Amino acid sequence: MVVSSDLIIQVMIWGLYAGCIYILLATGLNLIFGVMKIVNFAHGELLMLGAYITFTFYAVSGFNPYVLLAASLPILILIGVIIERTCFRPILGTGKLNEIFISIGLIYIIQNAAAMIWSDEWRTIHSPFEHITLKIFGVNLPLDYLIIVITTISILIILFLFMQRTRLGKAMRATSQNRKGAMLMGINVERMDMLAFGIGAGLAGAAGTLWVVSGQVFNPYMGSIPAVKAFAIVIIGGLGSIPGAIIGGLIYGIAENFAILTLGGAWKDAISFIILILVLIVRPTGIFGESAE
Amino acid sequence: MIDMNKTLGIGSKRARLLGVILLLLLAVTLPLIFGMNLYLLTVLVLMVIFIIYASSWNFLTYTGQGSLGHAAFFGLGGYASAIVASASGLSPYITIFIGGGMAALVGLFIGIICVRLKEWFLAMVTFGFAIIIQTLMVSQFADISGGWDGIAAPRLVPSSIPNYQLIEYYSIVLIAVFVILLFYFILKSKIGLAFAAIRENEIEARAAGIDPVKYRLFAFLVSAYFSGVAGALEIHNLGYITPEIFGVDISFWPIIYSISGGLGTLAGPIVGTIFITFIWDGLQSFGLTYLRFVIIGLLLVLIIIFLPKGLISLPDKIKGYLGKRQKKVQ
Amino acid sequence: MKRTLGILFIVFISLVLIAGCTEEKPPGEELKIGVVASMTGSASTTGKDIWQSAELAADEINADGGVYVADLGKKVPIRLVQGDDESTREGGQKAVSRMITQDNVDILVGGFSSAVVSAHQQIVAEHKVPYIITGASTPIITRRTDVDTTYMFHHAPTCDDSGSQIILFLDDTVRPAINSQYNFSADRPLRLAILYQDSPYGKGHQTAIKNTITNSSLNIEIVAEEAFKMGESDYRTVLTSIKNTDPDVIYVTAFLNEQIPIETQAMRDIGLNKIFTAVEPNDDPDFYKGVGTYGDYSIVQSRFSPYTVPKGPTEAAYNKFVTDFDKKYGGFPGMMGVATYEGVYIAAKAVEDAGTLNKTAVRDALATIRMPQMVENMQDQTISFSPDCRESKFELTMEQLYWDESAKETRPKIVWPEGLKETSFVLPEWYEPGQD
Repeated sequence: MVVSSDLIIQVMIWGLYAGCIYILLATGLNLIFGVMKIVNFAHGELLMLGAYITFTFYAVSGFNPYVLLAASLPILILIGVIIERTCFRPILGTGKLNEIFISIGLIYIIQNAAAMIWSDEWRTIHSPFEHITLKIFGVNLPLDYLIIVITTISILIILFLFMQRTRLGKAMRATSQNRKGAMLMGINVERMDMLAFGIGAGLAGAAGTLWVVSGQVFNPYMGSIPAVKAFAIVIIGGLGSIPGAIIGGLIYGIAENFAILTLGGAWKDAISFIILILVLIVRPTGIFGESAE
Repeated sequence: MIDMNKTLGIGSKRARLLGVILLLLLAVTLPLIFGMNLYLLTVLVLMVIFIIYASSWNFLTYTGQGSLGHAAFFGLGGYASAIVASASGLSPYITIFIGGGMAALVGLFIGIICVRLKEWFLAMVTFGFAIIIQTLMVSQFADISGGWDGIAAPRLVPSSIPNYQLIEYYSIVLIAVFVILLFYFILKSKIGLAFAAIRENEIEARAAGIDPVKYRLFAFLVSAYFSGVAGALEIHNLGYITPEIFGVDISFWPIIYSISGGLGTLAGPIVGTIFITFIWDGLQSFGLTYLRFVIIGLLLVLIIIFLPKGLISLPDKIKGYLGKRQKKVQ
Repeated sequence: MKRTLGILFIVFISLVLIAGCTEEKPPGEELKIGVVASMTGSASTTGKDIWQSAELAADEINADGGVYVADLGKKVPIRLVQGDDESTREGGQKAVSRMITQDNVDILVGGFSSAVVSAHQQIVAEHKVPYIITGASTPIITRRTDVDTTYMFHHAPTCDDSGSQIILFLDDTVRPAINSQYNFSADRPLRLAILYQDSPYGKGHQTAIKNTITNSSLNIEIVAEEAFKMGESDYRTVLTSIKNTDPDVIYVTAFLNEQIPIETQAMRDIGLNKIFTAVEPNDDPDFYKGVGTYGDYSIVQSRFSPYTVPKGPTEAAYNKFVTDFDKKYGGFPGMMGVATYEGVYIAAKAVEDAGTLNKTAVRDALATIRMPQMVENMQDQTISFSPDCRESKFELTMEQLYWDESAKETRPKIVWPEGLKETSFVLPEWYEPGQD
């Protein structure tokens, strides 16, 4: 295979764009985990819901799908809050296995409810910028990818500012560092749970919207594959660690593409789990995971 | 201290015994009452196989572990048994135990990795192993596994023998009884106590000289072995095996069955499998399609929240509720 | 005690439910056809098409008085029985055993996924019920030796049929077109890259491609063979390695949710200005909607297209079926639907030929059936099953897509085979052939 510098830049740009989806998912997972110490295995279903809600707005209004993100995001946050209140809060502290099992129930409910509402036929959203490709330093860069990268970075910056600068954000960080301590300081930790889950769901919904606008075909079962990948990344990087997630994502992306070139595309999913297992054998808490807890 | 009742089931000893006898009686007589009814037999055979499978999966939870990828063992048992039976001409009744052995061997390997992991990681790793094994089956081992095309598996009892389906059914029931009795005796023994100790408080268990790794590995092995046997039974019943056997649905069913019946009890997976199977097929006869999945999902969520010990704890819960109300009235 | 009573209650309620499904007319008063369809689970979209098309066929036949059975000396109506295989092996086994023993169906029609069908063939074989399988792309279905498949008839193009016809088209149409347009020597081999789904379907096509090239000693060189996981979304790396092998044509075996991003990413991101071929299940309205401009000039195989109908004997039947289906259910039935529609007619014809509902006689009638083609084009314009493997032979067409400004989507035109073509295959201006 001929490897040129152009190709490397090209591959990096594709990786960056695909990485955006995973980073949004992984950040949401990490946020929820940090505050609530639970893992929502139905996270991919929120991504799917985000895609469908944007699709519905798009079908009704015909607006630019990127603009519609602003409309679907609040709905996703609301759905996240409802799921947290009705499903996860009642079982908080009753055992980790219960969280995993309740997620399985949620997967069944959300996927099939979506199939009842929107049917399970394949859907597509065409971006208005589909045909615009910029040529920067000799590299082809579809405008859509650029918008997705910028949108993701903006979302992450807003999130960062929210966590660092606002009272609410600080309270959330306090909760994730020490729940009991936060409670003693008069922070309403249950409200923090709701908020964390809502934001996590919102990020997943944004990921879903960006995913389908970039040319992906979707149906109600589309969420599971990206979610599983985001999990692998989060676990490789260490639960609760944002820099870990970014490094995990990088390792993951390189390994996946390397597997395609050497072993063949059939190995793509398997290889990510092999890495996951190898990492966990060496460090059972992940690369950047806290060894305590 | 550890309450044995909690491990084995809920309710008084007499009620439990009565339940077991009635269930067995029903299992034996049902096909006879309705004559040679193929549909009933098909449903019952699959149900009993899944009782074995769900019970094996549930065996893992006695040590506080869980798995999202038991289809790996179910499928491996099926493949190993089908391949050995077709190559050697041995009766499937022998090869199912070889299939179980294969599953246990891989289970040992996976277990060594998993026993040290936290629940979330464990869930992901087991989930991943089902995918890795499926990939291996269709690529590296395609020559012996038939790749994506799959391979045929001989029937448990050749169809030339009269009443072969009935013989098949009773033999599977017999195997199920054997497996559950075996679990019962393991859990009643010192091993069962050690399991409970590890589940309740790992640090205390360690202090008492119980090595959690050893016991968890043992639970993993036993669980993998009998999941493999269940998979082999299914394959010899269906007559054909394809890599789809490693699918997520096969991994999730035993979880749904065990949770709805009652996690960490012997009766739980049995009651859960029977209950969910009939709900599932019942809902279908009303023409529900997607809604059926939604209802199963809702049921799962509701049971986890309101009935954490599963359906088998429902009578006690009702009794407790009524008792409380009576007290209030007085 | 309460608990055991509860269990007993559940069991008996369920038994009543099961038993309740079997109220029926005495045998001989109707022709009962069991339809194996995936009404739930991953394949439920096609399941709906299958069931509705079967209903349409049965309604048409019944409106005409039903099926004449010589034995009874009268016409009997068709009654359809739905068997939802839930897209799983276990569900299929339950559904088929129920239809055979509870509903006592005379004949089975349908079946979609190969894995699901292979898991209930044994029951069908043991009970010797004629089964017209209108799905399942693997040719193994009727070639299995471990069960008696003589009661099973395969009315769907297998991977072998579909793959070999695409290859023949590439050899007799595309290869000469490239060689003459770019002044290559006439004996330059066609450089073919294969991109296939890692599944029974993709593997089946891969095998069929190679067998066809070897058996007919065609002048085609396979320069790349790449697989991808089912449901994959990112094809850029595989497409880049394909680009490096410098092919003329890329033969893709994928479902439409994969075919769309493959063609989009190849054209937009990789700049792979080649001819793409798509296999027959992609000829669906959703494909045209999704692929948009990137489908321009690409090739799609077809057996039943939403936008073009081969001129000739099947045209009227095609229009009638599509209009009636749309009137009754709204929408386009899809190719799994049409095969089942034909399957019900084949079943009715076989019963009429046999003159009885006796299953062995119906099977024998199916084995020798010769009926004119209906909606889909068949070889020899006749539906009949080959004596060795009991497969019907389809005449598949190849379409090239062209941008249609009024539809804002591409639209297909048939370019192959010679007898059915509407226009000739063209190489677009932007096309770049592989190296000489």
